[in-house]
Amino acid sequence: MPLIEILETRSLTTIQDLGRHGYRQYGVPVSGPMDDVSSRLANYLVGNDENAPLLEFAGVGPVIEFKDPILFSMGGWIRATLNGDPVESWSSHFAEPGDVLDVGTIRSGVYGYIAFSGGIKCAPILGSCSTYVRARFGRPLKGGDKLKINPTVQRFNEVSIPNELLPVPVSEPIRVLLGPDLKNFTEVGISTFLNSEYEVTKHSDRMGYRLRGPKIEHSERGSDILTDALPLGAVQVPANGNPIVMMADGPTTGGYPRIAVVASVDLPRIAQTPPGGKIRFRSIKIDEAQELFRRRERGMAALKKFLQGEIRAFRVNINGENLTIFLEDYE
Amino acid sequence: MLYIKDVGDSAIAIVLGNEIDEKINIKVRAIAKAIEENVRGVEVVSTYATIYVYYNPEKFTYSRILYEIKPYLDVKSISDKGRIVEIPVLYGGDFGPDIGFVASYNSLSVENVIKIHTSSLYRVYMLGFLPGFAYLGGLDPRIATPRLKTPRINVAAGSVGIAENQTGWYAIESPGGWQIIGRTPLKMFNINSSEPTAVLPGDLVKFRAIDEKEFQRIYQEEWKDAPY
Repeated sequence: MPLIEILETRSLTTIQDLGRHGYRQYGVPVSGPMDDVSSRLANYLVGNDENAPLLEFAGVGPVIEFKDPILFSMGGWIRATLNGDPVESWSSHFAEPGDVLDVGTIRSGVYGYIAFSGGIKCAPILGSCSTYVRARFGRPLKGGDKLKINPTVQRFNEVSIPNELLPVPVSEPIRVLLGPDLKNFTEVGISTFLNSEYEVTKHSDRMGYRLRGPKIEHSERGSDILTDALPLGAVQVPANGNPIVMMADGPTTGGYPRIAVVASVDLPRIAQTPPGGKIRFRSIKIDEAQELFRRRERGMAALKKFLQGEIRAFRVNINGENLTIFLEDYE
Repeated sequence: MLYIKDVGDSAIAIVLGNEIDEKINIKVRAIAKAIEENVRGVEVVSTYATIYVYYNPEKFTYSRILYEIKPYLDVKSISDKGRIVEIPVLYGGDFGPDIGFVASYNSLSVENVIKIHTSSLYRVYMLGFLPGFAYLGGLDPRIATPRLKTPRINVAAGSVGIAENQTGWYAIESPGGWQIIGRTPLKMFNINSSEPTAVLPGDLVKFRAIDEKEFQRIYQEEWKDAPY
């Protein structure tokens, strides 16, 4: 079975797949990638299905030695070298036995992904290979760890994601759905939340992102609620008025009022905002949030087929608007 | 009362109230079970007074998910008494370092704290916060005690504790601020089981005091194939 060896890790580096679903009622969070767009793209680049286990790191990546020929890719804006020569992220590359990949720093964002064709072999815990350190489902990787890669029958080519289709960071406000605990906030408090700039503090990690900015005012109902469920992206506001956004490893329940929940489509953008980065929030309704999500998923599905050679893509300009058209052949 | 609210774009909340109330929680469990058994492709979590239904917005629109769950809102509460789960606990000593404080804070003897803790039947209202962490209702106010001023960095798995008017256990090792009065040799969270927690919402819990010998006997049996 093909093997890689982690020579060195330089930040929290864990194995993730798309998460541990079905156990929230037992207090087990879903975990999974902080940025599922980047992780899925990394997998598509090497011919994997989106749930294949891959590596996630924060800020600075690991040094990896390939013991066997393996097709790999990196998702994220990463400065990396293969045997000392620069190697592009958002592309797949063949590595030969003895090759050393030094995954360096992330140029833009926080989380990066390294995928291997076939996916990392692991023994699933409660149906998933996602690491959840708190409960010792897996553990952070370190130098000396050897990871097996599932053998693949199919041989995939080196491909790249065209520049125009890359998930470029934008500085638009983060879209949220207000509630469910709006009664715990004053009109002023809600207005503060929607009209202020918040900074991501360094106390931000896979459990949650702690933001700092103008304090959000609670109503007489106060800053405690009867313990209740916390969906991914829930924005809690404790007594100190500073919002906390629940992320992949966040607890399934909590006791602070929830002013809003981040729209699924914008979760990767929060995850990729580094400490010191600024966030604003904008309220949208559920129909819009779901339509944005579905539109994104259609785009991801088309991109996957394009990368795996099943469809062709063209860039056209219609009435001044640049569009990408994916063409699928029908029998 | 019953109203439904969207909580983000991938979950809805069916809200039956806003308090710790056994009757409400029985109704919550009945609706949660009915949805779980009948609606495919969703994940159901019940809390004190609310049922959360997590879904994929690519598979269900908001209106579709409302339509899917509607038939189960009217379900009759099962007059289920719930399973009674007995939890053996070795109280005090090294495993219950705070039992002395709980006793003196409430002007009771340690024996009386144990007697009171083991004589109630507690309802499991919900699980959350950490894997296998149970929110129990019914702690006798005579032994209610505030949290530690300084939380411990490490509380061993199986530790049984009290915090304000709550009692429960740490199913996995974790930092924690509860007053630890004892430890159970049972695996309260088990990854090798399809139902990974020792209790489920709706169960009734009784604590039973055991001695060191029985603790070791049960512990060897439970943990012989490695940590959860």
